[in-house]
Amino acid sequence: MKKMLLTGVLLALSGAGAVKVGVLLPLSGSGSVSGQAARNGYLLALDEINRAGGVLGKPLDLAFADDGSSPAKAVPEFVKLVTVDKVDFMAGGVSSATSIAISGPAKQYNTFMAWIGAAAVPVEDAFADHKYFFHYHPWSYYNFEAILDYFKYLKRSKGARNIAIAYEDGPFGSAGIDATVAAFKKAGFNVVMSEKFKTGSGNFGPLVSKAKAARPDILYWVGYDTDALPLATEIKQQNLQLGLIYGTPPSWPVGFEKNKLADNIAGLSLWLPSSPQAESRKFVAAYKQKFGNMTEEYFAPLAYVNLKTLAAAINRAGSTDKDKVAAELAKTNTPTPFGPLTFSKSLKTQYQGFKSGNWLHFQFLGDSRVPVYPVKFAQKPMVWNK
Amino acid sequence: MELFFQTLLNGLLQSGLYALVASGLALAVGVVGIVNFAHGEFLMIGAFLAWGASAYLGVDPLLSLPLVAVAVFAVGALTYRVSIRHVLLAPELNQMLLTFGLGILLQNLALMLLGGNTRTVTTPYQGSSLSLGDLSVGGPKMIAFGLAVVILAGLYAVLYRTNLGRQMRAVAQNRRGSQLIGIDVDRVYLIAFGVSCGLAAVAGVLVATLLFASPTVGLVFALKAFAIIVMAGLGNLTGVLWASVVLGVSEALVQTYVPGGGGWSDAVFFLLIFATLVFRSFRGAR
Repeated sequence: MKKMLLTGVLLALSGAGAVKVGVLLPLSGSGSVSGQAARNGYLLALDEINRAGGVLGKPLDLAFADDGSSPAKAVPEFVKLVTVDKVDFMAGGVSSATSIAISGPAKQYNTFMAWIGAAAVPVEDAFADHKYFFHYHPWSYYNFEAILDYFKYLKRSKGARNIAIAYEDGPFGSAGIDATVAAFKKAGFNVVMSEKFKTGSGNFGPLVSKAKAARPDILYWVGYDTDALPLATEIKQQNLQLGLIYGTPPSWPVGFEKNKLADNIAGLSLWLPSSPQAESRKFVAAYKQKFGNMTEEYFAPLAYVNLKTLAAAINRAGSTDKDKVAAELAKTNTPTPFGPLTFSKSLKTQYQGFKSGNWLHFQFLGDSRVPVYPVKFAQKPMVWNK
Repeated sequence: MELFFQTLLNGLLQSGLYALVASGLALAVGVVGIVNFAHGEFLMIGAFLAWGASAYLGVDPLLSLPLVAVAVFAVGALTYRVSIRHVLLAPELNQMLLTFGLGILLQNLALMLLGGNTRTVTTPYQGSSLSLGDLSVGGPKMIAFGLAVVILAGLYAVLYRTNLGRQMRAVAQNRRGSQLIGIDVDRVYLIAFGVSCGLAAVAGVLVATLLFASPTVGLVFALKAFAIIVMAGLGNLTGVLWASVVLGVSEALVQTYVPGGGGWSDAVFFLLIFATLVFRSFRGAR
């Protein structure tokens, strides 16, 4: 009994004064695929950090909370981490909606935020004046820059001219659609169709019939994972001839890559297990060793990079003083599975990590996602169906 | 002209799926007299069972369909036994709150147990279609439409040609009178509610084949099923097919010919409910 008590006291003492990082993630609900992947990334980074001596000489402590993919749940969980658990820093954050919701409390408590997700511009607006906001994920305009660059390549190499756009009618698909159409036109494309759809309705018959009449070279689809298979099915059933189907859902349906209908569909990812960077190969090996499997979700390495760089900055700062840590984190220049990470200004925020140059374009080829562009990272030639 | 005919065809094929979902709901409303807001969640259970059978056992969804229907029939019967039967004589608001709560419970249970991600099923016939000149008829949707016709015809035959059907109609007309002439009302309700859930599961299997399985997949179809049974007349099984066709074709026409129509398609069923109710009250007033 005495031994147990002593062990408990020693354990408590060793934890006392340890740096504590709160991690808010969608571990349940619609964003749980990305959230669970991110959690694994954090756990892997935590192992490595603590094996290497921890942070400020003590094992780093993580406090996970589930935002349930819902802004209404995210706010109390965030406030609890900051005020009850008294975390020193906050990390995590996948969805834009939950990130906007917690922007108020984050400013109220002047919380240090090392944030991995939330690409929507309204999040950038919400955190524009927050001095401790480090954003790792590219903003949506960087995503579109990458897409436009790829489509311009298709124009040069495959003669792609006509684009049909199918976008879901919520904020994710509709925000900035006019600017998207204008940017395609400015780049010399004909936007032959721009149609809304209801995400999750699965009713793509009329949309595909309309696209068939418009004869596009590329179908650019902005929606969610629930729309992927119904759209692919309808395109096949109506024999819509396209050079490329290109989609940008936040995550793809589980097992989609194994479906023949997914063949040649293209998309965007910050990272793939087959990414060629040396850091990516190291990450893949470490992930497989810890979890016994591999994920294709880029939020896993993003979370890993997030915690590793934050821990390194705290160690360099020598304290948990927010100004000192911010100054050190801002100086980050390190290789990552996505390529080198540095922080620079975005349109509105001070510390933006990855930008348009970090995106990879992939195609579903032979049961997996294969990088096809930028050409220097392509592992197989892109399949153009026209 | 080709676009117009393809649009009509798209609407007609979509209506098969709608009719399948609505037929079960019409049975629950018509016989048991309960507006089952959890109907979509029984569809969701069917979709997940079909996905599970396909992903873990390699059984084609169309082959697992009868088993899934029986399993969800059992779940429905159990649900009736432990909850629905206790509120049948309670005010309608209590019944609605119960089924609404049941729906939320089932949806959140699915979220907790299976997560929120979308599951898809792979079948060799998923992308199959039949070409009629320039027109294209999707294979699985054709199956859904055929199945809807067969099931509605079967239900009609049961209701009008069998003893159980007569009992169901009697109970629907007058519960107390039926009890007085010796019908086991509780048993009839249990069967009707179970069959209603089983039919939702049949629709769920086809939804998993055509679209996906996810905890929220039932909601969209349940809303449309409500529009259909309102148009058909509450509890009117025979009107379900034509009401589904009206809804499916209207949506397709709006999606194709109204600018930005994809965003308006969900408004179509609200508009149809509104128009039907106003028309009925106007006709009733005369």
